[in-house]
Amino acid sequence: MAALDSTFLIARVLPRLYRDSVALMALAAATEKRAGVIRVGAVMATPGNIEILERSDMRPADLAVAPDDLVLVVRAVDADVAAEALDAAEAGLTAAEVRGGARTEQAPQTIVEGLALDDGLTVATISTPGTYAPAVVEQALRHGLHVFCFSDNVSIEDEVRLKAFAVERGLLLMGPDCGTAILDGVPLGFANVVARGSVAIVAASGTGAQEISCLLDVAGCGVSQLIGVGGRDLSSTVGGVMTDLALDMVAADDATEVIVLVSKPPAPEVAKRVLARLATLGKPAVACLLGLEDSDGPVVVRGTLEGGAIAAAELAGHPLKVDQPGSALAPTLVTGTVLGLYTGGTLASEAKIILDRAGVEHEILDLGDDEYTVGRPHPMIDPAERSSRVVQAGSRADVGVLLIDLVLGHGASVDPGTPLAEAARAARAAAAADGRDLVVIGSVCGTVGDPQDIAAQRSLLRDAGVVLFLTNAAAARYAAACATAAPLGAPAPTSKEHA
Amino acid sequence: MITGGIRVLNAGLPLIVDGVPAADVVQLDWRPPAFGDAHVAEIAVSLDDEITHDANRRAIAAVHAVRPRLVAVRPAREVIAGMGEGKVLLHAGPPLDFGRMCGPMVGALMGASLFEGWAATPAEAEQLLRSGQVELAPCHHRSAVGPMAGVISPSMPVLVVADGERRAFASLNEGLGKVLRFGAFDEEVVTRLRWMRDTLGPVLDAALEAFGPIDITSLIGQALAMGDEGHNRNVAATSLLTRRLAPTIAALPHGIEVLEFLAGNDHFVLNMSMAGAKLAMDAAIGIENSTLVTAMARNGVEFGLRVAGTGEQWFTAPVGPADGLFFPGFGIEDANPDLGDSAITETLGLGGFAMAASPAIVQFVGGTPDDALATTRSMRRITLGPHPAYMLPPLNFTGTPSGIDVLKVLDTGMLPVINTGIAHREAGVGQIGAGVVSAPSEVFLKAAVGLRHARDSR
Repeated sequence: MAALDSTFLIARVLPRLYRDSVALMALAAATEKRAGVIRVGAVMATPGNIEILERSDMRPADLAVAPDDLVLVVRAVDADVAAEALDAAEAGLTAAEVRGGARTEQAPQTIVEGLALDDGLTVATISTPGTYAPAVVEQALRHGLHVFCFSDNVSIEDEVRLKAFAVERGLLLMGPDCGTAILDGVPLGFANVVARGSVAIVAASGTGAQEISCLLDVAGCGVSQLIGVGGRDLSSTVGGVMTDLALDMVAADDATEVIVLVSKPPAPEVAKRVLARLATLGKPAVACLLGLEDSDGPVVVRGTLEGGAIAAAELAGHPLKVDQPGSALAPTLVTGTVLGLYTGGTLASEAKIILDRAGVEHEILDLGDDEYTVGRPHPMIDPAERSSRVVQAGSRADVGVLLIDLVLGHGASVDPGTPLAEAARAARAAAAADGRDLVVIGSVCGTVGDPQDIAAQRSLLRDAGVVLFLTNAAAARYAAACATAAPLGAPAPTSKEHA
Repeated sequence: MITGGIRVLNAGLPLIVDGVPAADVVQLDWRPPAFGDAHVAEIAVSLDDEITHDANRRAIAAVHAVRPRLVAVRPAREVIAGMGEGKVLLHAGPPLDFGRMCGPMVGALMGASLFEGWAATPAEAEQLLRSGQVELAPCHHRSAVGPMAGVISPSMPVLVVADGERRAFASLNEGLGKVLRFGAFDEEVVTRLRWMRDTLGPVLDAALEAFGPIDITSLIGQALAMGDEGHNRNVAATSLLTRRLAPTIAALPHGIEVLEFLAGNDHFVLNMSMAGAKLAMDAAIGIENSTLVTAMARNGVEFGLRVAGTGEQWFTAPVGPADGLFFPGFGIEDANPDLGDSAITETLGLGGFAMAASPAIVQFVGGTPDDALATTRSMRRITLGPHPAYMLPPLNFTGTPSGIDVLKVLDTGMLPVINTGIAHREAGVGQIGAGVVSAPSEVFLKAAVGLRHARDSR
């Protein structure tokens, strides 16, 4: 190497000083990083090591050492740099320990490690990316844990397989894509703080279960258990296997006196089977199957969430009054269609059913649906996307009624009312500026126990001109009334309302 | 309704357990399993059942029940199966065609051919090897192990390690510098091999004959208490062995020569540690459904993994150079891809797994004694249990983490830590550094698939 000719090679011998070769190599590597330093050797001066220095052109001609000496050799661009590097290297030999003995416990990373930390665990809540959820769910089930699986994007084949696996072991697999549960009074996922009581809810629908649980809280009968089973459980592919297990469990649960099953419309053959099963549980049961005709038999069937809640409350001995005396409100007549901007999927479905039955033209969007949540959080967690759509609705001349929900409870945004109220105010202002009246109608799904303060959230919305009802169904009915009552071009009177 | 109350293990978003009392929640620092391969993660979980657990309990018990003793030092042809006749050379790692072998491996095979007198010149030796007239086989296929190139030829004396009828073998350690295991094959190397054949081997064999067998487990156990980790630091174990045999060796012809050799070779006991580990791990080969790793070995091109439940099958992946600390004048660009059977020590729970015993070694990665403890603790996450005989004083005399479980590696994403020497990529240059490496994740992914396949085809 010709370049070496213009460089400086200096050695320093530290007689009879011993350091482990590993320490010396580390020291050499650290010293080599100094600016202007080309190469560093730090070795015990054994014949073997001196030969290595020799071979790598790192042995100064005048080096005189004994095998138990420690030798530092530096090749650098100039003499000063080399000398400074030698000083640094020698200082490094006696460096004090920099890091203390304190050691932080590492958090457990796997199901097995979590269980090793605490073998009293009974439930696993899983919200990993859907790709990995089947493996994590199976592992939790293998270790005897009930599973609440919030993860979505799990194939239906995996769902069928894992639910069969869970049922074999007598374990609940709530989900995949399960949003809510309340087990023995403990809320998981998106759940409201409801009084413990006598009605068990088995739900293939998240916000549907939340709406019913909140209404049962209002009624005063409370909730014994809320078991989510995932939105596909009552499909013909899954066949309601987890619904069956959940029904068995609440039927055997001492705290439960009345059972409500809530689902979006199930596959007809599954619906038939589940209805037959509900009749044999030994406890009064309500099948709240959205869109079905109401009927009273051994099992009470209701086609709306509100209807299901009223029927269950009745059976539990705590009748629920939705339309309070004196609160009947004349419809505000509007032109244009009903636009629903929902964060709760089942609430959106219920609104659709009611508007369809009323024969009203509508456009109801479930903004929590996969097509709107790609790359962004669910609107119950982050209300921004829904708010901007609400604002935009103000400039749509074809929209006369805007129907909204606001879901409170654990997991939901800390203060979802403020952005929604601002958006509603802006939308109404935009419509007014355009010479139109936009009626904004909604309901708040929540309880007085929820962390967000339901009274304050309602005030925010009312102050922004939102017409509030106790139930989503009542809100939808009022929206239908406004829309159907409106003769084309009729002026729209202003409204005041109370929920 | 739920027996035991609602006590929650949360994998994922903390907001899911917003409403659960904090005392009833264990929050995982969750990360994707199986190195992010969801398909393999599901396979691994599917194997994680009582059948596997039972097989693993039997496998690790079999491994820990082995008590290897050094009983003799004999020419390979006398003791290793299939080496009695013809031109046979054993090498480190999984099987590999000669044409794909790395520089140090080729050099070592050439040196062994010269040493055996099968060729007169290096060129002849290479031609002979290329012609296919020399049978090449992994040491592991013959109950043997060798560090770095790991080449064993029929005339070489090998350590004979035994427990009852079980046998395992390893070459004798040549020391540092220009040595065959790093691919050197000049006259100096061959001369030393001849001396080892004619003097070192017979003297050690006679010493063992006179003194009696050496209990390897107890010797390595003692050395762990003296700062060795049984792989990269062997000075304590070598001193213990030499001290024990010295009075016997000194009385034998050429005894002083042999003692001088032992005094100058800090790594002499490495090969014995390896043979002991090999004997122990072989006890688990073929235990159906066991996910215990029985061998990790590198041939300078590929890393190979064997698992109890898949018997003799190798799961391989390309291997890169070890990054570590280099001798003056060398760097990673000079390093050969990782090489040698010595990771059999980690397979049992020594080496990187016993780092806590040997704080000096952790400095290879710029660490502190605390890091050494942390490394050993982290290996607990992937092993079946503590070794009953290899106690670690700094960890309150708990046993070193022993018996790598493929399923635990996949579940935790924690790869086995292997302490290793680093060879120059050109034959004959020798050792240029040492460091700490991780096994490649790919072999564990393949092993899970292989284990599932083995289970399904039964």
